[in-house]
Amino acid sequence: MGSAHVTASAVGRVGKRPEGLLDLLTEVGLRALEGVGRRPIDLLVVGTMVGGSLAGVESVTAATAERLGLDPARGYRIEAASATGAAAFHVASSEVMSGRSKRALVVAGEKMTGLPTEEVTRVLARSLHPTEQAVGATMPALAAIVAQRYMTRHEVDPAAFDAVTVLARQAARGNPNAQFPTPVSREEVSQSRWIAPPLKLLHCSAISDGAAAVVVEEGSGEATVLGLGQGFDAFALMDRNELTSFRATRLAAQRAYEMAGITRKEVQFAELHDAFAPFALVDLEDIGMCGAGEAGKWFLEGATSPEGRFPVNPSGGLLGRGHPVGATGLIGIAEVARQLTGEAGPLALPKLPNVGVAQSIGGLASHNFVTILGRGTGERA
Amino acid sequence: MSAPPVLVVSRCVSCHGRFLPRKGNCPRCGSAEVEPHEVLARGEVLAATELALAPPGWPSPHRIAFVEAPEGVRLFAVVPGALPAVGAVVSLSRDGDHYVVLPVPEPRR
Repeated sequence: MGSAHVTASAVGRVGKRPEGLLDLLTEVGLRALEGVGRRPIDLLVVGTMVGGSLAGVESVTAATAERLGLDPARGYRIEAASATGAAAFHVASSEVMSGRSKRALVVAGEKMTGLPTEEVTRVLARSLHPTEQAVGATMPALAAIVAQRYMTRHEVDPAAFDAVTVLARQAARGNPNAQFPTPVSREEVSQSRWIAPPLKLLHCSAISDGAAAVVVEEGSGEATVLGLGQGFDAFALMDRNELTSFRATRLAAQRAYEMAGITRKEVQFAELHDAFAPFALVDLEDIGMCGAGEAGKWFLEGATSPEGRFPVNPSGGLLGRGHPVGATGLIGIAEVARQLTGEAGPLALPKLPNVGVAQSIGGLASHNFVTILGRGTGERA
Repeated sequence: MSAPPVLVVSRCVSCHGRFLPRKGNCPRCGSAEVEPHEVLARGEVLAATELALAPPGWPSPHRIAFVEAPEGVRLFAVVPGALPAVGAVVSLSRDGDHYVVLPVPEPRR
């Protein structure tokens, strides 16, 4: 199997943007292509979760190729709910590793603010199981159920959820693309309004527009794809054995570590899918960094801050950056790559890391992805 | 005395798993052979929450509970009344395409 490397990346500003979906995709796509001197690509992979329903864009792959002035040999649109961006990256990396593609462009984006919040929530809820939709469940409602089970099982201090948001917003302060670059205190988080107990407004990621693009190619590069892993869980929460840990992440992590030939101990930081603050705790445990129920302590004690023993979401995570659903997974991967190549600017960790993980949740954790990147060409001492 | 109310669920002929009826195969083993099965229409509340802003078509606030019925059947149900505590035992009934939680008329024991 050949190697695959991230040789260029671009992340657009996340937030309420006046542009349409194709504009957002084009902006980052062009920037990523310029990053490799506009050398030709033979594969275009486009990711959008709800581009048809929310942005009214269909045939997005052909439209994007046209807008970017590309004539790729192959192109696909990939969808994996809120893990769409990660899935698109996995498809491109797999093609490059197999030797089928020499240089691929991955572009993922979402345009969500063009419709009223109620309509956006309704469209996103369609990615839940029919029996869950039938009781009027929404993403925040099910996330609240997960959080409550987690609290009941592990007797976690609810302040740990607040700490996740505080850390995210602190990190986002240095991120020029972040939707929420202003810090908040634990009190502000805990006193924000209820969304669905135990979730408060500031525990929930926002509705956002945004896009990212990454060039993946064979040969060599400053950031190398070491591991790609995906896992599934029962689509419906009622069919799962447990709610306080996501099987789909655990399987994805296991498979990614195995492919990379490393253990969790070699990973130095992570971009985790904190669509809701309690998910950051579950995620950290699921990628194997700590035991079940222990992650709250890590967040409360600062172990996950940029100076801590295992930095989490140095780019601000979904809570700080914003959550353009189809783009999020690819933004996380791009941010991990930038840390490894020393291009993270004000977001750079105190010490240049060698290995980082990006974890992405699809839907309510029904199909999740873990991506491991390493600094350099992949030859580790 | 009339028979206690029951829920009609599905039982997998192959793995004997019990689950809420739905389109498609057994969620545990993938078998297509499932048969109707009755369990008592009550269960323990595993978690419950209240959406401050109800989704379209529901009154605000909208409450839902995650309930474990007998034989390990888990389901989501709408809560028309006050939010039940975790661990509370509740009665369940079917209302069209979904289930509804009813408070137990008298305290247990």
